[in-house]
Amino acid sequence: MQHKGWGIFFGVVLLVSFLSIAVGPWVGWWLPANVSTFGPDVDYLYYVILGFTTFFFILTEVLLVWAMYRFVGRPGAKSQYIEGHHRLEMLWTIVPGGILLYIAIAQISAWEKIKYQAKMPDPDLVMQITARQWDWTMRYADTPKPTDPRAWAEIPNSDDIYLPDELHCWKGANVRIYLKTQDVLHSLFLPQLRLKQDALPGKTIPVWFNATDFNTRFNASTGACETDKSKEWEIACAELCGGGHYRMRGLLYVHETKDDYLNWLKHAQQAARSRQPEKKTTPVAAKD
Amino acid sequence: MSVSHSHSAETHAHHELSFLRKYIFSEDHKIIGIQFLFSGLIFFLIGGTLALLVRLQVGFPKGVNLPWFPISWGGRMSPDFYAMAFSMHATIMIFFVIIPLLTGAFGNFTIPLMIGAKDMAFPKLNMMSYWFMWPAFAVILSSFFVEGGAGASGWTSYPLLASATMPAGEGFHSPASPHSGYGQICWLVALLFVGVSSMMGSINYMTTIINLRAPGMTMFRMPMTVWAMFITAILQSMALPVLTVALILQLLDKTINTTFFLPPGGAAFGNWHTGPGGGQTLLWQHLFWFYSHPAVYIMILPAMGMVSDIISTFARKHLFGYKPMVLAIAGIAGLGFIVWGHHMFQSGMDPRLGTGFMIATIMIALPSAVKTFNWLGTVWGANIQYTTAMLNALAFVAMFVIGGLSGIFMAATPVDVYFHDTYFIVAHIHYVLFMSSIFGIFGGIYYWFPKMFGRLMNEKWGKIHFALTFLFSNCTFFPMHIIGIAGHPRRYYDSTLYRFLDNVQPLNQFMTISAFLLALVQIIFLVNFFWSLFRGAKAGMNPWRSNTLEWTAPSPPPHGNFIQTPIVRRGPYEYGNPEAEEDYLPQAEPQPSGVPAPAH
Repeated sequence: MQHKGWGIFFGVVLLVSFLSIAVGPWVGWWLPANVSTFGPDVDYLYYVILGFTTFFFILTEVLLVWAMYRFVGRPGAKSQYIEGHHRLEMLWTIVPGGILLYIAIAQISAWEKIKYQAKMPDPDLVMQITARQWDWTMRYADTPKPTDPRAWAEIPNSDDIYLPDELHCWKGANVRIYLKTQDVLHSLFLPQLRLKQDALPGKTIPVWFNATDFNTRFNASTGACETDKSKEWEIACAELCGGGHYRMRGLLYVHETKDDYLNWLKHAQQAARSRQPEKKTTPVAAKD
Repeated sequence: MSVSHSHSAETHAHHELSFLRKYIFSEDHKIIGIQFLFSGLIFFLIGGTLALLVRLQVGFPKGVNLPWFPISWGGRMSPDFYAMAFSMHATIMIFFVIIPLLTGAFGNFTIPLMIGAKDMAFPKLNMMSYWFMWPAFAVILSSFFVEGGAGASGWTSYPLLASATMPAGEGFHSPASPHSGYGQICWLVALLFVGVSSMMGSINYMTTIINLRAPGMTMFRMPMTVWAMFITAILQSMALPVLTVALILQLLDKTINTTFFLPPGGAAFGNWHTGPGGGQTLLWQHLFWFYSHPAVYIMILPAMGMVSDIISTFARKHLFGYKPMVLAIAGIAGLGFIVWGHHMFQSGMDPRLGTGFMIATIMIALPSAVKTFNWLGTVWGANIQYTTAMLNALAFVAMFVIGGLSGIFMAATPVDVYFHDTYFIVAHIHYVLFMSSIFGIFGGIYYWFPKMFGRLMNEKWGKIHFALTFLFSNCTFFPMHIIGIAGHPRRYYDSTLYRFLDNVQPLNQFMTISAFLLALVQIIFLVNFFWSLFRGAKAGMNPWRSNTLEWTAPSPPPHGNFIQTPIVRRGPYEYGNPEAEEDYLPQAEPQPSGVPAPAH
């Protein structure tokens, strides 16, 4: 099989692979719609990297496939005798080097914005999440913003509300979450918020986001949250935590306004008090 | 070819040994390499079977109605079994297949032959390095049958899932997972043996390459395979002690209730509390990745070296940019030590540290890019011969481009916030380790098979095997990028619980079906391998008309390798030299008239 077919074969497989990703945005095989303030930064950087990598993917694969097609061996022929090319080496070291350095530096500000504690905005809503095998306990204070959030996060309070797997906030609120785990590693993953943070045994890790859209209205008469079914924003666990890892599913409820959130909070408080106060296993007091 | 010697000389260095000494407790590097090859291939079957179980669950999470399917609970495996399957799949493929095949099988077989040595510097140590794998084989295989089953904490075995243990006196059960008791202890012990084996190999490779090169074989006349093995051995010897320490620490946590990875506040499992600890869970991640990130390069650099030699041979062309290629491998190995933190961007490690690790990680793409361009430079203007070995080597290049580029997404910290622990990383690691390393290994087998066994593998079936493997492996692994972009987390037993993944579930089924086809076509390889072993065409000394020294020894070479020690006169890539009569000029060939002596 000393012929050009192999180049064509490689080319077709690579082309089909490429097309299967390229059609993604039109068939729902793509990033879920973003709803957080820092999401556009993440997505922009994703597209920057996607642009550069697509360019180099096409460049190198086209050259390879073309060479495979063009330079099929002929008996008795000899290849070009070239040991290397200093200027070419310089070119393909310096140009990708510059691009990679640009890509690296371009990330820094978004990374600082998302994760650096010192750069996190002042919270409008403080809550604390404790992960365990296999659910999330969402803890809300009776007021959206306790006077000392960090201290509040560490010491359980009898007025607090505990809800499994339901994260409530309102559109435009700077939400600060103090993330803990009581057993193994877990990772809080909200795909639409472009947010992910591992929960680390023995540590309390601050996380923040600000949702730019809402999906929930509280109905005072029924006492239920009415959620837009087309905007179901799920919470998933992204760090292996045992057999039930896959079913640590939670939901994000973004209320339209702060008032709507407060109405829901009041209702949830009353509901919690009217229930027989069950002994909740207190999350392990974590000390740094 | 002028290298012709009297036939009687072939047995010159060959001492008559008993079967046991010759084939079982052999000190001959070639036999030890072949032993590593066979055990690696057997574990490849085991690891592959586990992969199929994983794919079966991910593709058909509600179960498949196959009454004959043996491991099923109402057509469905349990979540714990699934976790065990993917954990052991990765563990076996990494520590029992790819590392032993690349360094153990090919490192052992090629190094002395390619540098013109009679054997390794320490033949007994070499034998021990193989036999230290056997306790590991026994322990890892028996772990499937211990109480609770084999380890199920991922191949990374992060505490506390892996390390949490009941108090002393209550056996080795774990409150975190049934698999984290005896199975996890087996996992730790098995890896310790693998580590000792690798360390013995590394020391031997370094010593051999430094001391036993044939006359004229300067460092910069060594083939890329030898360079890659040399740098890999250095990498391994520097990284392994750290893994060993980590394994012992976790073993102590599990057996005598130390608390290296348990935080001061302890942990609570249901209503049961471990009591206070005194350690840090992140400590494991630092120690583990300090080894395991370099290990990623241990699993690719030797393949890069082998592929460079195969491509140059069948392109019938001088390797483009030999010294930049060597420097690139050294660059990858050097930078490889300061990038481990990129596995921990979302771990809760100080994000300022993440910034530093990110810059180092993104820059490591540069030497990889340099290598790719040099391979392209090698095939440009070539006179390509499409042997099966060459096709596998070219597939390595085509697929490594994808695996290399997809890594940049996870290296970029903000983008990694989204992509971390999704299927995108699963796609990335399989493009590097399956699509690159395994194609490199296949290429190496087709290429050196005639030297190992004196017979050629069947080319026609080799090409059919290659074409189908290339096709189905892309069908199996490429869509993982797509479901990763959609946010599909890895290691999920049942992703149909999540609405945001509804769109991509059909892709999961497609990948599963492709994976079964991919496994099926490997039968072609197995049949070809064993058929050729006994019935393949006789290879002769140099069937590929290759330049490197191993092809001046008989096929298979006798104990002691060379009839007379070769004298190296030039670099390994003199293909297509216009001054030479043929399109190749072996390293040990005496100077033909008209060819000026090389300057270096």
